[in-house]
Amino acid sequence: MVYLRSLLFLIAGFATGLNAKSSTGDSVLVIVEPKQQDNYSLFLNGLKKQGYDLTFRAPKAEAPVVIEYDDPTFAHVILLASENKVFAKDITPQSLVELLGKKTNLIIALSPKQTPLSSLAAEFSLTLPPPGTPLISYFPKREGPPSVIPVSVPATHSILSENLHPVWFSGVPHSLGNNPLLVPILRAPAESFAAETDGGSPDALVDAAERGGEGLWAGSQLGLVTGFQTLDGSRVTWVGGAAIFSDEYATKEVSKGVPSGNLQFARDVAKWTFQESNVLRIDRTTHNLVNSTKSLEQYTTNDQIVYSAYISKYDSKTSTWAPYSGIKDLQLEFTMLDPHIRTALLPVPGVPGKYSAAFRAPDRHGVFKFLINYKRKGLTSLQSSTTVAVVPPRHDGYPRFLSAAWPYYTGAISTSVAFFLFSAMWLAGDSHEKRAKGHKAE
Amino acid sequence: MFSLPIIALLVAGAQAAVLTLQSPRFTVSSSTGSQLRSEPISLAHASSIPVTLTKDDVLKLTFQVIDKESGKGVQPHQTFLRFYDQNSGEEGIQPIRVTNGGKAKFELNMARPPLSLPPTSDAPLQVSLLIGSSTYSPLALSLFDLIVPASHPVPAHPDEASFHPLPEIHHTFRPEQKLPPRPISALACIAVLAPWIVLLGLWGQVAPRAVHLFSPGIFPFILTLGAFESLLVWYWVDLKLGQVLSYGGVLALVTIFTGKQALSKIGDRRVGRK
Repeated sequence: MVYLRSLLFLIAGFATGLNAKSSTGDSVLVIVEPKQQDNYSLFLNGLKKQGYDLTFRAPKAEAPVVIEYDDPTFAHVILLASENKVFAKDITPQSLVELLGKKTNLIIALSPKQTPLSSLAAEFSLTLPPPGTPLISYFPKREGPPSVIPVSVPATHSILSENLHPVWFSGVPHSLGNNPLLVPILRAPAESFAAETDGGSPDALVDAAERGGEGLWAGSQLGLVTGFQTLDGSRVTWVGGAAIFSDEYATKEVSKGVPSGNLQFARDVAKWTFQESNVLRIDRTTHNLVNSTKSLEQYTTNDQIVYSAYISKYDSKTSTWAPYSGIKDLQLEFTMLDPHIRTALLPVPGVPGKYSAAFRAPDRHGVFKFLINYKRKGLTSLQSSTTVAVVPPRHDGYPRFLSAAWPYYTGAISTSVAFFLFSAMWLAGDSHEKRAKGHKAE
Repeated sequence: MFSLPIIALLVAGAQAAVLTLQSPRFTVSSSTGSQLRSEPISLAHASSIPVTLTKDDVLKLTFQVIDKESGKGVQPHQTFLRFYDQNSGEEGIQPIRVTNGGKAKFELNMARPPLSLPPTSDAPLQVSLLIGSSTYSPLALSLFDLIVPASHPVPAHPDEASFHPLPEIHHTFRPEQKLPPRPISALACIAVLAPWIVLLGLWGQVAPRAVHLFSPGIFPFILTLGAFESLLVWYWVDLKLGQVLSYGGVLALVTIFTGKQALSKIGDRRVGRK
């Protein structure tokens, strides 16, 4: 099934001239107010050019529905209508969560207004400031309102292109919980804070901080764009403001002659969310004895076992999976209830995509599992489990001819030899009894 | 619209009013009230000597925000003290209450650290002052490095560990069984063989003669007995049970025949029927 699908993708890729595509499907639903649709033309046309199949839908339109007959209609959903309080019946926080459970990827834009989506964000360990408090920053000194902020992008980030220009942002920040499934993509500048749009009073900020808890939303610990990868592998990206994808910010210069990084940033975010980048899979796993290639169903305690995994990474440029040897911290566990052995599964030099580890089976028999459970922020999690039995040696599998047993061997052999000699002598000998008897008879 | 941004910025920069601080000063005092350190803060560069607070000390920071030109006190919108740990990336923001006249006072009591103080390690916190206002140029001042007692580590999510390489686990194997030294085994072998000395000694005295050894009635039986013994040795060295049973079965038939013949021969001889 999977092969068939990837084959179809491959054919589709050739048919459209090897466009960059997602590893999970190309249909995208964009939920946006028809009036605002043109504001995002650069970003959305970019997606179209990449090969995505975009469908537009107004937030209150009844069709096309996102889930039909329990089946998601689209592979990805972009929710740009961030200020809407009322959506069509089928777009609810519950249905969005259900979509995630059905491997649909989402990009959800938030706004300073209180909407059903802002309460959904809390379920993803993102805490939003009170309604009506967007992020503002007076740094650096610039023209324009303080709520439109140039945010510098981390120079090296697993999701983003290297050395992006700063991006323009306006919207709402969120504080991040300690949930490890969160993938921070863009953080707020250290000097920024959430405040009422009309400025608010300085004392209100102090009071907010003194109230404790999450009273004051300020500083670089806040997130602006944050990804979340579910345990199933579907991805959702929360964006503090839809404006980051807008044409206006994409064309707005951050300083004289320096274009903003918004467009590339939006592409990178979409690439990650739509399973184009940082997508891995385990093709197959093998296990065998050292110096053998035959895979066994059971191993004997103390056997030397070799376990190998073949891992591929999705290459969106060619829409194919290519062997990938770039993982440095892969680990293999050999578990029976608890891991008995945990060892590094290192890339094999010369064989792309192959990771291998050799170890001695524990001297405990039972049903063991070779486990790979590789979870890293921003990467597809890799899971594999293979069950094998580890058995004690067979009756003839133990060491033999031990020096400690020499006396027993000698004893047994000497008894045998003695028995044989005795038998031979008794059978072949001339008995004295007979002679004695013979004498009497005579 | 952005054809002349840099010029616009330059103009804005030239026109924007500038804020500055008047008589910024920090004081460190112990819990008993005695003053440990009191210094004015330089606006040009951060203090080179870090400020150290022990667990009961109090840090006091006072300054007045003024308009650089008019010298009048100003209450900016944003007056934040930022504590930043460069190693861990932890950051805490503490807003400071500024009066209408621009006067500000901040007290950091380490006995009751504010919530805004980030979790700390051994690394010093960089303390900077951020002043922002819609009508003035923003002002960011690096004040000093602050060394405070390390706090408890941040509680991590229970699943956080699985997102990092986990410690390696090695199985502890049972020690290999120890064998006694070979000379001792060899000595024991000799002890086991000792009865042969007695046997061979007595043999010499009795000196039985195997006169009928090669007689056609008896020799096959002795041969089959020997074959049985060899079969058992072969079994010990190499054979499986099934093979031994089949070979042994065949051999047993032969042995029954040869044995019957040999024993009847001996019987005949003994009763002197020969």
